[in-house]
Amino acid sequence: MTGGTTTDATAEFFGALAERGHVPMLEWAKGTVRFELADGKRVDRWHLVVDKGDLAVSRRNARAECTFRTDKALFERIAKGEANATAAVLRGAVIIDGDMELLVQLQKLFPGPPAKRGRGASGRRRT
Amino acid sequence: MSDGLVKILDGNTFVVSDSRGDIEASLTDPTGLFSFDTRFLSQWVLTVNGQRLTPLSTDDLQYFETRFFLVPGTGTVYVDSKLSVIRRRAVGNGFREELQILNHDEKPVDLTVRIDAGSDFADLFEVKDALKKKGTYSARVTDGRLVLGYQRETFTRATDISATAPARVDKRGLTFKIRIEPQGEWSTNLDVVTAVIGSGGKHERPTFARPRGRQNMETNLKRWLDQAPTLECDWDSLRETYRRSLVDLAALRFSPPVMGYRSLPAAGLPWFMTMFGRDSILTSLQALPFTPELAATTLRALGDWQGTVVDDFRDEDPGRILHEMRYGELPAFEERPHSPYYGSADATPLFVVLLDEYERWTGDRRIVRELEYEARAALNWIDEYADLMGNGYISYERRNVKTGLENQCWKDSWDSISYRDGRLAGFPRATCELQGYAYDAKMRAARLAREVWKDPEFASQLEKQAADLKRRFNRDFWIADREYFALALDSDGKQVDVLSSNIGHLLWSGIVEKPKAKAIARHLLGPRLFSGWGVRTLGTAEGRYNPIGYHVGTVWPFDNSFIAWGLRRYGFKEEAARIAAGILEAADFFDGRLPEAFGGYERTLTRYPVQYPTACSPQAWSTGAPLLLLRTMLGLEPVGDLLVVDPALPVGIGHVALLDIPGRWGRVDAFGRGRLSAGEKKALRQSQEAMPV
Repeated sequence: MTGGTTTDATAEFFGALAERGHVPMLEWAKGTVRFELADGKRVDRWHLVVDKGDLAVSRRNARAECTFRTDKALFERIAKGEANATAAVLRGAVIIDGDMELLVQLQKLFPGPPAKRGRGASGRRRT
Repeated sequence: MSDGLVKILDGNTFVVSDSRGDIEASLTDPTGLFSFDTRFLSQWVLTVNGQRLTPLSTDDLQYFETRFFLVPGTGTVYVDSKLSVIRRRAVGNGFREELQILNHDEKPVDLTVRIDAGSDFADLFEVKDALKKKGTYSARVTDGRLVLGYQRETFTRATDISATAPARVDKRGLTFKIRIEPQGEWSTNLDVVTAVIGSGGKHERPTFARPRGRQNMETNLKRWLDQAPTLECDWDSLRETYRRSLVDLAALRFSPPVMGYRSLPAAGLPWFMTMFGRDSILTSLQALPFTPELAATTLRALGDWQGTVVDDFRDEDPGRILHEMRYGELPAFEERPHSPYYGSADATPLFVVLLDEYERWTGDRRIVRELEYEARAALNWIDEYADLMGNGYISYERRNVKTGLENQCWKDSWDSISYRDGRLAGFPRATCELQGYAYDAKMRAARLAREVWKDPEFASQLEKQAADLKRRFNRDFWIADREYFALALDSDGKQVDVLSSNIGHLLWSGIVEKPKAKAIARHLLGPRLFSGWGVRTLGTAEGRYNPIGYHVGTVWPFDNSFIAWGLRRYGFKEEAARIAAGILEAADFFDGRLPEAFGGYERTLTRYPVQYPTACSPQAWSTGAPLLLLRTMLGLEPVGDLLVVDPALPVGIGHVALLDIPGRWGRVDAFGRGRLSAGEKKALRQSQEAMPV
C-alpha cells in the first residue's frame, strides 16, 4: 500500500479485507465500491473490488459502480465498529452514489460494535 | 374510509388528508405527506376568498390517486355555490395536485385562492409517540418556489412546492389572484417534491426514492391484475374479496432502496410501509400461487440485510433475519434501533421455509443456489444464537432493553404470553410456533441441500436434528391431560399452559406427531377457540381471555389462513374448509378488505364480525389471507413438476375455478366442486346464488 498513514483503523480495515481474499457470503456479488474519505483538503481513495466473493483492495483510481463518500474521522469509527454505516447513510453523514444493492452486500464486511463486558461473541445469554 | 381520512400512496410515500383534501396535522395527528418515514407536509390547506371548502364527494380513483369535489364555504347549511372546486391528487415522489375552479355564474368572478403550506418534518415514530424535534426549521422563497427545510447536523430534508400558474409565493404558502369568466374555469398544477439536500447543498431526491408517473402506475396496476390468476366462482363476495386483495397487495408493494424496481410486500398502510422480516415473508408465502415474484424479492432483500455481527442495540446476530427497517430521523441518530432492527425470533427460520416453498412452486433454483450461504447462516443462527436457554429450543429475550421489542414472536403485545391463571411468563420465552418453524426450516433445508446444494451429508444431519427436535417437542410442550401443546416454555423450562391459536401453526409446520393431530384439530374447531368466524388467538377459558384483546382473544385472519393450511397438511379438509368459510364470510362484512383482527365474540351473539380498532388498513397479511384460503380450499400443492389439486369447498359453494396459476408447470387451471358440508348453511350470505338456502 502506498501513501497516507498506514497505522490508522481505515488502513487496517482495508488491509484485513485484502488479506481475507475470499468471502463466501459475497459469492454472488460483483462490482467495485470507491470510498472517498475527506481528511481536511485531502481525499483518501480506496477501491474495494469484489468478484464472486474474491476481494481486492486498491488505491489506484478505477471505475466504480458505487461511491461511498464521508469524512475520514467518521470512517475511522466505522472501521473500528464504533459507528454504524447504515445509520450514517440515513443521517446524510455518508453519501452514496450508484448501486445501492452492491453497497448493502458489502456493508456486511463492516465490523460490529466492540464486545461489551460480560457478553461473549456468541450473543448467548450469560447465566 | 371509516375514519374519515383519505389515504393514497406510492411505495412508502403516502398522503393522509381529510375529506376536503386538507392536511392540518399536529405532532400526534396522523395526517400529512409522508415519505421514507418522514412527514414532509403537516399543513396543506386550501381557501377561496379566505373561506375553507366543503366536500361534496371524494373519489378514490386508484390507491395512488384521489379526486375531491368541493364548494366554497363551510357550515351545516348547504351553500348554494356558483363555484365548483376540484382537487385531483396523485402520489409519486411527493404529490401532484391538479386544482381546478369552475365558475357556473353568468358574471365573471374575482377570487383569491390560497394554499397554506408547512411542515414539521416529524419522524413517523414521533407521530406515534409524540416526541420533540432537535433540529432547526427553515422556509425560503426561490425562483417562485417555496422550499421548507429541516436540518439536524448532516440530516436534511426539504419540501419543494411550486405551481404552474402564476402565484405570489411567501414563506407560508402560495396565493393566486384570479378572475374567472362566466362559465369559465381556471386551473393550476401544484407540485410538492420531497427531497434531501446532499453534501453539495444542491437539491436531490432522497437517494432512495424513484419517481413513478401516474400513467406508469396505472399501467403497472393493470399488468399486475392481468398477470394474477383469474377466479371464477358462484360466490360473489369471494370474487370481490379476491379482487380487493390483489389491488391492496399492489398498493402494499414496496421497493426497498436496494432492490431497483422489484418489490416486496410491506406490512401495512400507512404506518408500516417498510420492509419487515416476518410480515414480508408470511405475506409472500400467502401470495405464492398468485404473485410468486414477491417472494423472490423478499428473499433477496432479506438476504442482503442478513445480520453478520453481534450488536446488542439492534438485537443483531450473525445469520439473523431482520425484523424492521426504517429510514427516518430517529433511526438515523440511533435513537431507535431500526437501521435495521433484528429483534424477531421467527423471521430467520421462516426465511428458510419461504426459500423452499418458493422453489417448490417456481422451480427457480438459481435463487436457492444464490442464497445458499444465507440459508446456512440462518440455520446456524437457530442452533448457535437462538437457543438462549441451552435446552435446544429457540427462545427470545431482547438485549436492547430500552427500545428493543419484548415479544419477538408474532403475538408481540406485552400481555400475549401468559399462564392459564393470567400470570405473565418470564424471559427468555420459547413460544411453541418458533419450534415448529425451526423444525420445518430444517426439513425443507434438507431437501434443498440434497437436491440443489448437492450436500447429502448436510441434508442427513438436518433431518436428524429435525427428528430429534420433533421428538423432544412432543414430549416437552405436550400437556397430556388437556391434549394440546403449551403456548411456550418459560425461563425455567416450565410449560406456559394456555390454549392458544399457536397450536394451529404447529400443524402447518408438521412438527405435530400424527396421533396428537386429531386432538389439536378438535381444539381448533372447538368452542373455546373457534368463534364461528375463525380461531381465536386465546381460548375463552383462559385467565387473560378478552374478545377484544389484541393477541388474547381476537380472531386474526392471517393466523387463520395458516391454521387452515396446517389442517390441510394433516388431512383435516373439512375443518380447514370451515375456517375458510368463516373468514371469507367475515371478509364480506368488510367489503372484501379483512382487517388485521376482529373481535372474538361468538358469531351467534353478534351476527357480524366486530372490527378491532387498528391504525393500519389494509394490512399485508390480512390481504394475503383470502389468497392462502383459496389455496387451502382448492388443496393446491406442488408435487414435483405438477400442481396437485384436491379441493374441499365449504358447504354452499357450488364451484370455484382458479385459472392460469403460475408455477414451474407454466400456467394451469384448478377446479373445485362443492361436496363437503363445512360451515353453517344458514349463516352463508345470500350473495351465493348457486345454493338456495
